[in-house]
Amino acid sequence: MPATNRRGMTGTGPGTAMRRAADLGRRTEYLAFSLAGEAYAVQIAHIAEILKPLPITWVPRAPRNVVGVMSVRGRLVTVIDLRRRLSLRESPMDRRTRILLADLGAEGASSGGPHQPHQSEQIGLLVDEVMQVYRLAENEIEPPTVLGGDQPAHIRGIGRPEGALLILLDLRPLLAS
Amino acid sequence: MTDGGGRGDSPADKAREDFFSEAQELVDGMSRDLVLLDERSRQGKSDPELVNDVFRAVHTLKGLAGLFGAARMSAVSHELEDVLDDLRLGKIDLTTRVLDLLFQSVDLYGRLLAAERGHGPEPAPEVEALLMALGSMMGQQGGQGASPATQYDLDPSILGVLTEYEEHRLRTNIQSGLFLFRIRVQFALATIDSALEELKTKARPHGEIITYLPTGSAGDAESIELDILLASAATLDVLRQAIEGPNVAIEEIRRRTALLDPGNAPSLPAPAHHSLPPPMSLSPPTAGESPATVHPSALASDRPAPVTSPSYAPGGLDLSLRSVSQTVRVDIRKLDHLMNIVGELAIVRGAILRLTDRVRANPDRVDRAFGMRDLGLELHRLHRTFDRHLTQMQNGILEVRMVPLGQVFEKLARVVRQISREHDKHVNLVITGAETEIDKLIVEELSDPLMHMIRNAIDHGIETREVRMAVGKPPVGTIALNAFQKGNHVVLAVEDDGAGMRPELILSTAVRRGLVSAEEAKELSLREVYNLVFLPGFTTKELATDLSGRGVGMDVVKTNIAKLGGIVDITSEVGIGTKMTITLPITLAIISVLGVEVAGHSFAVPLASVEEAIALDESLVRSFEGREAMTQRGATLPICRLARLFGLSEQGPGEPDQASPSMHAGPSPIAEARARRRPQKPCVVIASVGERRLGFVVDRLIGQEDIVIKALGPSLKGVRGLAGATELGDQRVGLVLDVAALMEEVLASDKERLLAHEGRA
Amino acid sequence: MPKVLVVEDSASVRAFVRAALEDEAFARMLGGCEVVEASCGFDAMRLLPRGPYDLIITDINMADINGLELIHFIRKSDHHRTTPLVIISTQTGERDVERGLSLGANAYVRKPFTPEALRETCGKLLGLAADAAPKPAGGGAP
Repeated sequence: MPATNRRGMTGTGPGTAMRRAADLGRRTEYLAFSLAGEAYAVQIAHIAEILKPLPITWVPRAPRNVVGVMSVRGRLVTVIDLRRRLSLRESPMDRRTRILLADLGAEGASSGGPHQPHQSEQIGLLVDEVMQVYRLAENEIEPPTVLGGDQPAHIRGIGRPEGALLILLDLRPLLAS
Repeated sequence: MTDGGGRGDSPADKAREDFFSEAQELVDGMSRDLVLLDERSRQGKSDPELVNDVFRAVHTLKGLAGLFGAARMSAVSHELEDVLDDLRLGKIDLTTRVLDLLFQSVDLYGRLLAAERGHGPEPAPEVEALLMALGSMMGQQGGQGASPATQYDLDPSILGVLTEYEEHRLRTNIQSGLFLFRIRVQFALATIDSALEELKTKARPHGEIITYLPTGSAGDAESIELDILLASAATLDVLRQAIEGPNVAIEEIRRRTALLDPGNAPSLPAPAHHSLPPPMSLSPPTAGESPATVHPSALASDRPAPVTSPSYAPGGLDLSLRSVSQTVRVDIRKLDHLMNIVGELAIVRGAILRLTDRVRANPDRVDRAFGMRDLGLELHRLHRTFDRHLTQMQNGILEVRMVPLGQVFEKLARVVRQISREHDKHVNLVITGAETEIDKLIVEELSDPLMHMIRNAIDHGIETREVRMAVGKPPVGTIALNAFQKGNHVVLAVEDDGAGMRPELILSTAVRRGLVSAEEAKELSLREVYNLVFLPGFTTKELATDLSGRGVGMDVVKTNIAKLGGIVDITSEVGIGTKMTITLPITLAIISVLGVEVAGHSFAVPLASVEEAIALDESLVRSFEGREAMTQRGATLPICRLARLFGLSEQGPGEPDQASPSMHAGPSPIAEARARRRPQKPCVVIASVGERRLGFVVDRLIGQEDIVIKALGPSLKGVRGLAGATELGDQRVGLVLDVAALMEEVLASDKERLLAHEGRA
Repeated sequence: MPKVLVVEDSASVRAFVRAALEDEAFARMLGGCEVVEASCGFDAMRLLPRGPYDLIITDINMADINGLELIHFIRKSDHHRTTPLVIISTQTGERDVERGLSLGANAYVRKPFTPEALRETCGKLLGLAADAAPKPAGGGAP
């Protein structure tokens, strides 16, 4: 259930309704999930699907963050452990673990040679638990610098819907490693 | 109809596609014929049938160009046809200059077609130049006079149905003093094409077939009687022996008068350019077959060096051998095979439908319809059948895409001729294995790299005549193109008998260009030195006086071949020659693999690269400097323990060192149970790619199957040793090993160390 | 519906001729048009018994049995002695065209020909009145 963010709604003057309406228009939906006990979120537009874990095949000598590969309806998906990627505490999979299928469109295109049409690569993100979808307006997002110092490119900012604290992630730089 | 080749389905669009397809075939055929004609003429022989074939090809191209609005092509064809007509009617001679122009025309056709497709610029200036050159070919006026054919005992109505060309051939043969024969045949119309082919093959060594005349008096509507006019120097008895058979009778056509025309004494030798070719041991290639091998001519020593005519423009820079046509000729049997498989699939469909009906008839009590166990078995059986047929179908369709390498090789013959002319070196191209088949798209991608390699070989490999003779080599250089299939790979070798590559020169160039440091240079094996030429930035200018002044990027060649999933290798010997070997996969999609188990994980090894698999005998294994090898069949076989390479613990099914447990898909429960029952039997899977061999040590062999291989995503591109992945049953994924890459990885440093160990630096 | 036999060894020319004859307006005038293709003289001989054909279009320069021999054969056959016959010729094949006409062909079109030119010639031979011959692009009644 989308929550309305009351931040920035000071006063009840005539402009407030207009502002509220304007804000509503610019809201983006974020999918929140938990990693090592913390709440994170990414734009739901970048998530194609939420899956329960399927058999994952280990890939020898793969980069550290790669858990392995799995097959989703015949397509190969590379699974990345987000906790490892963000250097967080890892825990074994349980019935709440989920895999978020990210879809970055043409930017993830792979050239498979003369026989395979260009397909965008599908990456699966392993998370501890999926929570809910929040709507956040641009101006309700605190910039990453609020966390102090130089933050990596994949941290988009902080969101605080309904008193929750979400660390917002930007998928493109996150997966560009 | 001048859009860049629209892909609609209207009859007009289809006609345009047909146009490109047919035009490309005609141009390719012309190219083949011209190369043969060139060879024949070097040997002093003429071949009127070849000339006629080229004429017909141009004639047809002219017609096509006109119909489809290709104005430039039409203009070129028009002039070319006139020249060829003069040529076949004996009004002009087949000189080197004429041959040059003909070759230029073939190039130009290629570019004109590409321009029509929208793939290239209109070669307007080249067209103008060629038109002028063709127009200046003057044919002398032939005095035709009364046809000497009237002197023969021929029904005059026959003369009325001969075309101008056939009449000319008749006249020429008579003037050369040959005899005329009539072969009367009666064949069934349904099979007449093959019956005639057979007859033609038997008759061709003995003379020239002028024309085929239906007599009009066949026994029934299903068969036809033909009179075939043959001109030959042989006697009736010889011909009877060679040709006669059931429904084939031959008799001589006598002259009407007994007196011989003084100007036509049959015993005089025929004038040079009208002479028939002596009995040939090779028939000219029929469409679809690979061309006859072009043999190096041993008698070249007294031939004058070919003159580079000043008007010959070396247009090599933008010459591309790609075909404009996207079509493939398909053997209809392949299609029949596919249809059969569709039939089988339909049967499976029917069975599934019946099962479905039974289940639906008893939705709540499936066990009333049949037990769950039976249902499971039925479905499993159907699935296996379906799976099998689907794989067959996939294979069948892939096979349809395969075309013989001969296609590319033929085009290269033309290139060889052109480049050798440019550099004033006489080079012969020897082709073997042209019938080896490979995917059409790969074939197209190969033409440019091969051309570069050949250009390099001629530029820098083959020495000039003087140099060759000075070192005792035949003045004619040879480039041998060989292709053969090895399982799922195709190996292509380009070998020249030139000067070879000098390692010192390569090293010094590489060091000078900063591609390798002086210290590293000392450590390199001979093979590695040769492979330096594939580094970007390595031009070959210093290796020989380069007339054309440009180095061809071998790094581009290597990249292009790598894109096709192949590797390229060089070996060379100073003074002897150089050999470049390309190893390519035949298709990228379906391969046969051998399943293996390594430390509890399963992998697939492409069977094509597997020579054999043997049990591991640890007592035969030796170690050098951290590497291992064993003696196998009397030779040293380096081995690689996959578990170690992949960082897995070697004690039975365990977990890889870094990953967290319980996350990965181990073997399925059934497989696991089966595995527990079976003992470990370590094996060595002996793989070979190109000339190299390596034994992979695995814990167990699982079995063989055909799989569809898919590429891993870009995130995993950096992982060495994996060719891709495949979906196993049950949503599981199997990884396919990249044997070539693993070999490179293991053997590259291996060789270094082995050499160091054996004392060679 | 008239049946037309096209004898020509070039596949794309056959396709071109077919496209010209199957033109909607033209076909409508004829009440439909069935085009049968033969790729060489022998092919034509195999197909002739499956006639009768109302029109035969043939090239001259073909391998094996050339167009002249085919015309000669057709004119001697039982069923197609008087069938209208059109020669497709090249611009330089005048002597061959003469021979073809003397052997019994009715008309010729010179390559390169436009679809309209072909239709006009064929239309006349198929009995369409001169002023009913289909007009070029844009179709419709004259």
